[in-house]
Amino acid sequence: MEVVVQITFGVIAVFILVAAAMVVSVRNVIHAALWLIACFFGVGALYMLLEAEFLAVVQVLIYVGAVSVLILFAIMLTRQITGEGVRQLTNRWPVVLAIATLLFATVLAPTLINQQWNVPPAPPLGTPEPIAGPAELGRGFVNEFLIQFQVVGVLLTVALIGAIVIAYEERARRRKVLTLAEELELKRLREQTSPTVPAPVEAEPVVQESRSASER
Amino acid sequence: MDALTIPPVDLGLIAPLLVVVTWATGLLLVDTFFIPVGRKKLTGYLAIAGLVVAGLVGLPLWGVSGSTFGGMVRLDPFALTLTWVFLLIGILSITMSLDYLPRQDIEQGEYYPLIMFAVSGMILLAQGADLIVLFLGIETLSITLYILTGFAYPRLTSEEAAMKYLVLGAFAAGFFVYGIALIFGATGSTRLSEIGAYAADRDLGDTNLTLLLGGAAMVLIAFSFKAALAPFHMWIPDVYQGSPTPVAAFMSVGTKGGALAALVRLLFEALPTLNAYWLPVLAGLTALTMVVGNLGAIAQMDVKRMLAYSSIGHAGYVMLGVMVAGEQRGPEAFIFYILVYALSNLGAFAVLIALEHQGEEAWQLDDFAGLYQRQPLLAVAMAIFMFSLAGVPPTAGFMAKFYALTAAWEGGLPWLALVGVLTSAIAAFFYLRVIIRMFMTEPEGEPAPELNRGLTIDIVVAAAGTIIIGLIPAPIFALVERSAVALGG
Repeated sequence: MEVVVQITFGVIAVFILVAAAMVVSVRNVIHAALWLIACFFGVGALYMLLEAEFLAVVQVLIYVGAVSVLILFAIMLTRQITGEGVRQLTNRWPVVLAIATLLFATVLAPTLINQQWNVPPAPPLGTPEPIAGPAELGRGFVNEFLIQFQVVGVLLTVALIGAIVIAYEERARRRKVLTLAEELELKRLREQTSPTVPAPVEAEPVVQESRSASER
Repeated sequence: MDALTIPPVDLGLIAPLLVVVTWATGLLLVDTFFIPVGRKKLTGYLAIAGLVVAGLVGLPLWGVSGSTFGGMVRLDPFALTLTWVFLLIGILSITMSLDYLPRQDIEQGEYYPLIMFAVSGMILLAQGADLIVLFLGIETLSITLYILTGFAYPRLTSEEAAMKYLVLGAFAAGFFVYGIALIFGATGSTRLSEIGAYAADRDLGDTNLTLLLGGAAMVLIAFSFKAALAPFHMWIPDVYQGSPTPVAAFMSVGTKGGALAALVRLLFEALPTLNAYWLPVLAGLTALTMVVGNLGAIAQMDVKRMLAYSSIGHAGYVMLGVMVAGEQRGPEAFIFYILVYALSNLGAFAVLIALEHQGEEAWQLDDFAGLYQRQPLLAVAMAIFMFSLAGVPPTAGFMAKFYALTAAWEGGLPWLALVGVLTSAIAAFFYLRVIIRMFMTEPEGEPAPELNRGLTIDIVVAAAGTIIIGLIPAPIFALVERSAVALGG
């Protein structure tokens, strides 16, 4: 049993490391985001291995579900950062590397030095049982944190209504935001025509066209 | 598997809050299914009715003190009086929106329930006795305000204001959560009373106490941001200028009232023993707030921006009462100032709305030129509000400032009271400038549009309140005194 756990851990750990390395090394930002999602999934699996089911679920829900979508949205709404052909390293990258290593070491060193490996830490006296599983958490919601639970419900309702009010009504009046596909289309058009014509001028008709299409 | 136990809850103690929340939720449905487009004013009337009902429900609770939900929420006269003040702020804000929204072509039924939700957040802030509850109260209020700030979104300024407010507000919320985490790490509790008990037992120099102080500092930053204390006030002018005018009015008094009410509880229930640490910091912030707000207002030629800066200055005067809330005078001054400031400021914003044409801004000082000859009553009302904000007798503003300054003086902060007096003198300059424009210059431009009913009611109520409280303050004093008794123990 122990061996199986060790092997599983090894596989997951390698997966996470590979995914993380890909995040920082691929050229395309969207590919990086997708690798990041894979990395998050791996961490979720790690939590599962530690028998923290709730954390695993939350990890998938929040990181894979929400944060990644947010990143993708940000990429989609930001113009021209598909990142192909953009040099990702500056000339001074050794300095950056040194600073990053130093900061990381500052965080990690005390942990490495003070940690007594393979000894389960004794809980401090008088600390209550930690909330580990979904059952305890659920009990907390209807007992100790009842009012908070209710208020969060109201809060989420308000946020939903707000999203609808701001995003849904009267689209016609909003400015047109180019989607990624339109962005790429635009780029291709620009490359096809002669480079002597300034870019913004040719960009205009496409924007006009898509606007009239959305109005129809 | 043991059965679930739900602790005994006394819903009576949160009755006004419950009424506001359920009414708002119901109103959303009613608005969607029964109220036709173009008659959304009806929703507004229903929202006002809900707030009135919530106020009436609170009447039998007068004098009741108690906590429920396992000590997470508390009801005492302090909270109840503030609840009434918040409900009044909500009612006045909705009344001035009734005509504003259709005129600006941004009328949507959701506006009114959203204001109600914001009010519920403020009430929660007055009643909360637990850091998480306070956080949720602040977030309910803030998220609603982010939405309302961007409510006029076809206008770029409104969008810009909402974006700025959201980004900075989310940042401040982060500080709050981090602070709560540190405090919880130090004391093992998020309940204000338990934190207070823990801090009272410890010697200074205890590691956990340092952690507690760090957490408290973070939370104070979040509160300072919400209440617009000086180094954290940068967002105020832009956000107020960009957001729809009734929302700016609501925000200027609402967030201050809510956040500072919670701050009073936090300081005097959780951290009274650490007084030596936070008092100098807060006193410095307050002095800076009064100076920055009032000096900043001088340079403004835009009246809406001027009111934004003035609201920063007034946050400082409110803080005078907050800091000495351990004494009897402190909370009294706090509640009284919030009430008076709400009336005067909402009135002043209502006059601004009255001057706005269809989608056009009329906030420049020159737009006020010769207003007396165009619309004498409006000019007189504006003069009353300006006098009150400047603190000139016999308006209520004078009584409020007097109250706050004496509270600070008696509470052991005489130098701060002096700063308050000096900055009030500076403030008189830009308030009186508006009055001079209105009465002593020739009118320019076309006459302002006719006043409509909602605005008239609003301006009349606010002006009458300002004058009456200024002339006969005794009943309000009595109410405020009785509200403040239970606190600070």
